[in-house]
Amino acid sequence: MASASSVSSAPASSAPSAPPFRQRPWVRWALPLLLLVVLVVAPLVLSEGVNETLARIGVFAVAVLGLNVVMGYTGQVSLGQIFFLGVGAYVTAYGVQNDWNIVGVFALACLIPAVAGLLVALAAARLGGLAIAMVTIALPIVGVPLAKRLSEFTGGSQGLSARFAETPEWTGLYDDQWQLYVVLVIGGLVFVLTRALVRGKYGRAFAIVRGNENVASSMGISPYRYKVLAFTIASLIGGVSGFLYMLVIQYTSPETMSFGHSIELLAAMVIGGAGSIVGSLLGGAYYVLIPELTNQVDPNLTSLLQGAILLVVLFLLPGGLASLPRALTRGRRRTRVGRGPAATPSTPSSTTGSATAEPAPTERQGHA
Amino acid sequence: MNKQFRSRTARGIAVASALALTLTACGRGDEGGGGGSRGGSASPGITDDSVTLGITTPLSGATAGPGTCTVAGVKAYFGAKNAEGGVEFGDGKTRTVEIEALDDAYDPQQAKANYDQLKDDVFAMTAGLGTPTNRAWREAAIADEVPQVLVMTGDPLFSDPEESPWQLGFVPIYQNEGEAMGELLASSTGEHKVAILSQNDDFGEGYVEGFKSAIEGSDNIEIVNELTYEATDTSVDAQITELASSGADVFFNAMSVTPLMISALQKAQQVNWTPSWFLPSNTSSPGAILEPGGAAAYPGIYSVAFSKTPAAPAFADNEDVQTYLAALKEHGDYPDPPAFPHCQWSWMVGATLEQAFAEMTEPTRENFMEALRSIEGFEAPLMLPDTSVSTGEDGQPAVSTVVVQKYNGKGYDTVETFE
Amino acid sequence: MTLLELEGVTASYGPVQVLDGVSLSVPDNGAVGILGANGAGKTTTLRAISGTVKTGGRITFDGKDIRGLRPDQVAALGIAHVPEGRGTLGDLTVRENLRVGAYLRKDSKAIEQDIDYCLDLFPNLQERIRSNASALSGGEQQMLAVGRAIMSKPRLLLLDEASLGLAPSTAKNVYDAIRRLRVESGIAMVVVEQNANLAFTLVDSATVLEVGRNVLTGTSAELKGMDEIRRAYLGG
Repeated sequence: MASASSVSSAPASSAPSAPPFRQRPWVRWALPLLLLVVLVVAPLVLSEGVNETLARIGVFAVAVLGLNVVMGYTGQVSLGQIFFLGVGAYVTAYGVQNDWNIVGVFALACLIPAVAGLLVALAAARLGGLAIAMVTIALPIVGVPLAKRLSEFTGGSQGLSARFAETPEWTGLYDDQWQLYVVLVIGGLVFVLTRALVRGKYGRAFAIVRGNENVASSMGISPYRYKVLAFTIASLIGGVSGFLYMLVIQYTSPETMSFGHSIELLAAMVIGGAGSIVGSLLGGAYYVLIPELTNQVDPNLTSLLQGAILLVVLFLLPGGLASLPRALTRGRRRTRVGRGPAATPSTPSSTTGSATAEPAPTERQGHA
Repeated sequence: MNKQFRSRTARGIAVASALALTLTACGRGDEGGGGGSRGGSASPGITDDSVTLGITTPLSGATAGPGTCTVAGVKAYFGAKNAEGGVEFGDGKTRTVEIEALDDAYDPQQAKANYDQLKDDVFAMTAGLGTPTNRAWREAAIADEVPQVLVMTGDPLFSDPEESPWQLGFVPIYQNEGEAMGELLASSTGEHKVAILSQNDDFGEGYVEGFKSAIEGSDNIEIVNELTYEATDTSVDAQITELASSGADVFFNAMSVTPLMISALQKAQQVNWTPSWFLPSNTSSPGAILEPGGAAAYPGIYSVAFSKTPAAPAFADNEDVQTYLAALKEHGDYPDPPAFPHCQWSWMVGATLEQAFAEMTEPTRENFMEALRSIEGFEAPLMLPDTSVSTGEDGQPAVSTVVVQKYNGKGYDTVETFE
Repeated sequence: MTLLELEGVTASYGPVQVLDGVSLSVPDNGAVGILGANGAGKTTTLRAISGTVKTGGRITFDGKDIRGLRPDQVAALGIAHVPEGRGTLGDLTVRENLRVGAYLRKDSKAIEQDIDYCLDLFPNLQERIRSNASALSGGEQQMLAVGRAIMSKPRLLLLDEASLGLAPSTAKNVYDAIRRLRVESGIAMVVVEQNANLAFTLVDSATVLEVGRNVLTGTSAELKGMDEIRRAYLGG
């Protein structure tokens, strides 16, 4: 926590020439390490309830991350992400009930949604813009009755329960701790891989397709292929989140993939921050914590309160929660600059003008 | 990545692991991880002067109407009791009963989250509506040994004490309703040909199963045709036409979709088929279904019930109903006349819980479950004559008796015989 | 050697025939202008080459038939299209936009050199290197669009109305830079331009289109000052 105090004192004293805090060499390895230690230790010291909530956040953070790949990074509106979570959950539940090997179940829970996503994308990505959105709307709408009808595999409207990944004896852990560790490992891996994907060559192609499909074509990037790729990866990640869903919630029913949840996932992605890895995590937290919060305030007004919170956050932070630090720095810089020349009120407009123009380049530093 | 970095990382991980092991050893050893409520010490959620009950139920979304009722009834019941000083328990103490209700929006995931949040603070979970939303945390409740009782689902799983030792359903299971209808028909003196249409899921199957078990061995009843439809179908015209040609004089229609039920009532008239109908309790509303369906054209529309309807003129002056409506307004946060029977059912849940509390000799969840399972023939307020709460029967919910009622053009009257 | 050859190329948007047998020949290192009034089919000719419109006829590039290829396949052969309206990626900075141009290349060292070359060619971009493309002026965006096209190391550059909406002095700057590029790199070009005088500062020869057909083809010297040219630009 020593690092935190040095952060807060730094802006006041540091000379403008000093390297930004996050780019100092020791910070670059110390921060991830610190994070790792916290993640390893946290499940052991936190209460059962907090661990369960964290595990649920992990589940939906992964789902939001998948949505971000196709929507945030590639710019294709998908309203069907919950369908792939549902398929992943059903595959997991079915496999567990039939005593399949859990590693194989995990592989299938990734593979089957990915193949489903691939097939949908092959057809949908040919259509432009809104048509994709329409096709993806159909997924949860078809998914719910389909899950009811295929009761041989899905348990019909009564759903499927599956308790698996029993905490191994040797760990000496409680169930909630073990589950959180599994979520952290699988979810963490998905986050690290996705981060590498979107920061790498593919990510650049996604960004170009999102920015301008004609430019993408003229650069030799097939928008169609990359849209299909992004959609397939999003579906695969959705499947992973479905597997984790079964691990943590241990029950799935047709309601799991109802259309409303797809919209909630979308809201969580926008609130967290579209096209942001951290935003996906924040989106997952939003998805899980806001219903709990509104339930605390007044269980009879949950949907109303959730709508109000959504509006307030988007109004204050159009870029989502992930843009909060940036918004704060901007605000601080503005006030700092504003305070300085306050003594000489003759030139405030020119100063503020230069101050607002300046942040634009520095904001980009981390991105390039 | 240079060598130094790697070795440092390794050292860091080693330190972290060591730390982790130490913490595991001393971490949360004393908490007991949920279930530990053995012996005479009090379970969570109960003190010498109060007990807290938890509810997770849909309070927003499409099922918010009945969901809100499931909270309002029991809240009103204990609100009125608390105002009188509380409820007397079998251990001689008088406790007030607090209700903590959370909204799950009919989302199983949210229901599980609500349960996780409530389980350490409440003595028992109760009254929540919905099959998937109750199933979502059933196994967790068993593992944690938290009572999940008198919940509003017709799913028989909750009434199987082998499978569900910490559960008990409240409302009749689908089989109960079908069975009551079958018994009435079997007791008829005439010969009847029956046509069956059922929803192709656990709902329809439950009804048909109950109905068939009741008419088994009755020589005067013959099933002449049996068809199904999917809950997602938008029309059952083809099935109605085919069933009409069977010449049946009794139509058992296990259908849970309101618009389909209305169109079925209309279609049968169009093809000049006018049998007597048996309808499930949740799709037999006089105002919402029978009137628009033109049910007056049929010789008889039969359904089942176990609670009085406050709106019915016959019960307007009933003392039970008066008390109930006043309490609902004052303590249940429900100022309007109840729009769903779930309000009445939830009120009965309150009365049933009070029965169990009166038998409890220890403030533990085990003892509560024992007391709850020992209720026999309790006529809860608002119950129709010939129905009662009995919790001791294996495989049956708390209310497994229903009476068959016949539509009289405005509402329903209880009938003893099929005419 | 002929690098690009169009013979009797046709194209239509729905029922509307836009190209009705256009021919064009671009030699290695050559630059050919396409002149004509609005709606004559200039832009569509470029789109026919880059594969963004369905076409009939014959289009060969470096001896290969490229008609019917997808835009990204055409681009991969070394044909870079700078579309009308620029089409920069507004969310990305100038440097990122330039890097995008080099997407298919793997020679990362040479990429950095080429970025420097672009910035040398368009000094205005150097000043705005960290700005978002959406914050650039019209002229700067045009420069960025050309720069991004260069970054793909094309053999043929398709330039569509590079002067559109620019102040005369800015337009001249842009064309001066492109001419320097042509001299220094030898990239072949097809240049669509409303402003004939500006076009003639860059191209060796040109063709005039009218309702989707070639009506006149010749060297710059031949065409300069001809009545038909004036007529074409007055829309007559």
